[in-house]
Amino acid sequence: MKDLAVIETILRNRYHFFAEIKDGQGLGAKMRAMLISSVIFLALYGAVLGSSHSLWQSLSSAAKLPLLFLATLVISSPTLYFFNVLFGSNQSLTQNFCLILTAITVTSVLLLSFAPITLFFLLTTANYQFFKLLNVMIFAITGGVGVVFLSQGMRVVSAAGKEGARARGSVMRLWILVYGFVGSQMAWTLRPFVGAPGLPFELFRQLGGNFYANIFASIGEVLGFFVVK
Amino acid sequence: MTEQKPTSNAKVDQILDLLLDALAERQAARRPAATPPVAQSVAQSGAQSGGLRHASEPAPVAQPSGSRPAPEPAPVAQSSGSCPASEPAPGAQSGGLRLASEPAPVAQSSGVRPAQQPAGKPPAAEPRPGDPGWTPPARQPSIQLDRTLGRLIVLILALIVLMNIPVTRYGVSLARILPDATSIIIRDGLVLKGEGDQVYVLEDNKLRWISSLEAFDLLGYRWSEVHEVDAAFLAQFEQGAPLHILLKCAESPHIYRIEEGKKRWIKDIATFEAEGHVWEDVRLTSCAYLRTLPDGVPIPADAGTPPQP
Repeated sequence: MKDLAVIETILRNRYHFFAEIKDGQGLGAKMRAMLISSVIFLALYGAVLGSSHSLWQSLSSAAKLPLLFLATLVISSPTLYFFNVLFGSNQSLTQNFCLILTAITVTSVLLLSFAPITLFFLLTTANYQFFKLLNVMIFAITGGVGVVFLSQGMRVVSAAGKEGARARGSVMRLWILVYGFVGSQMAWTLRPFVGAPGLPFELFRQLGGNFYANIFASIGEVLGFFVVK
Repeated sequence: MTEQKPTSNAKVDQILDLLLDALAERQAARRPAATPPVAQSVAQSGAQSGGLRHASEPAPVAQPSGSRPAPEPAPVAQSSGSCPASEPAPGAQSGGLRLASEPAPVAQSSGVRPAQQPAGKPPAAEPRPGDPGWTPPARQPSIQLDRTLGRLIVLILALIVLMNIPVTRYGVSLARILPDATSIIIRDGLVLKGEGDQVYVLEDNKLRWISSLEAFDLLGYRWSEVHEVDAAFLAQFEQGAPLHILLKCAESPHIYRIEEGKKRWIKDIATFEAEGHVWEDVRLTSCAYLRTLPDGVPIPADAGTPPQP
């Protein structure tokens, strides 16, 4: 419960939180609290996602969703750090990591807030493609808010008024794109999260196709253009 | 030629007169709406006292002292020199086009821009987060969000457990209780059941009827794989060859095809092959089990009384 207090600080006193990260105050405790909170929230949302298929899928998604976000964090953060340093940032890798973890925490708490809605649609609709697209939309919204937080935090922590601030702003925007691509590819690699009805439970599905083609196919099926086989 | 020139000059004069008349009418129509003489004096006194002004009112910029009456309200558009006098002043929000003689609408109707601020200069921007001189806003008091989150976590956890508890005799949970015809991924090996008792397997876009429970079990299917669908969903596929199970016991040479819980004796090898069966389809079982199954119509139907294994 103590670790959950960090959520209130992030959501209600974000600039104080960013200022503390800038000053390097309690980074370890902050990261621990954010890690625990986001893993709990993501695991719960993962369990909700997998419930549409089976209990095993529910457990599997509960484990895989935190893994998806943390792996994306580990893969993407060095790029942002070194490019920021290149353009005059004075922040440390830990501060950088802490900031991205803030974005993930915000995303995860928003995902948790969407869990009742997802459960409602899980109970009231049986259309797999619709359920999948609904979740893609939820992830896009929550992820978007998360990166907005990251962007604000980065501005505070990397001393925006100093030299290279504009370049770092551009780096941030490009990095958000990279983060999105890495995240979507990671999600495709770790799939299934929802689990297609009619297919047996699989921990990981064979690679093939890609995230974007699959989403377009799902949109096509929802709109009645064709059936995904 | 010489006779036509006065006529054309007269026409030009006529057109010019018409234009001038139209211009004069337009100016006359605008003037009372823009600044009637009484309203103008009231506006000037209001401008001196520093109250909120309408866009058509005289600009307070033109009256810096406040005590001295303004001789002529100076249009800001002219003073800034950025645009010609006939163009609208940049501060105009509701006034539309104005003549150069009209007062400039520096004081906006919303009253956002201060009266003493020189026109054309943007207001000094507040420092954005992270800029030098920026201070974070005052800390918000706690609303015990951690407790709320704790309760939400418990609630969602309870819902997840509730959704995954089997609620039907087939072990289907609440989360998967809705018929899933619209969400099925169509693929080979998909096991489907319509409104009747028949269970089908989809192969090459053809429905193959599984002719008995024995066949269902021996072919390795499980009830959890069966998707109940509407008849209309099944109707979109062609019927393929049924999936039969052929049984024989070691002590008997006879082969039986099991259909809907009955054993149908296959008369001879020619019939066996004609029915499209292969030896790999034949499974061994105990004769005692075969004897418990009731006899169905033999294959072919006129084969006579079926022998017992």
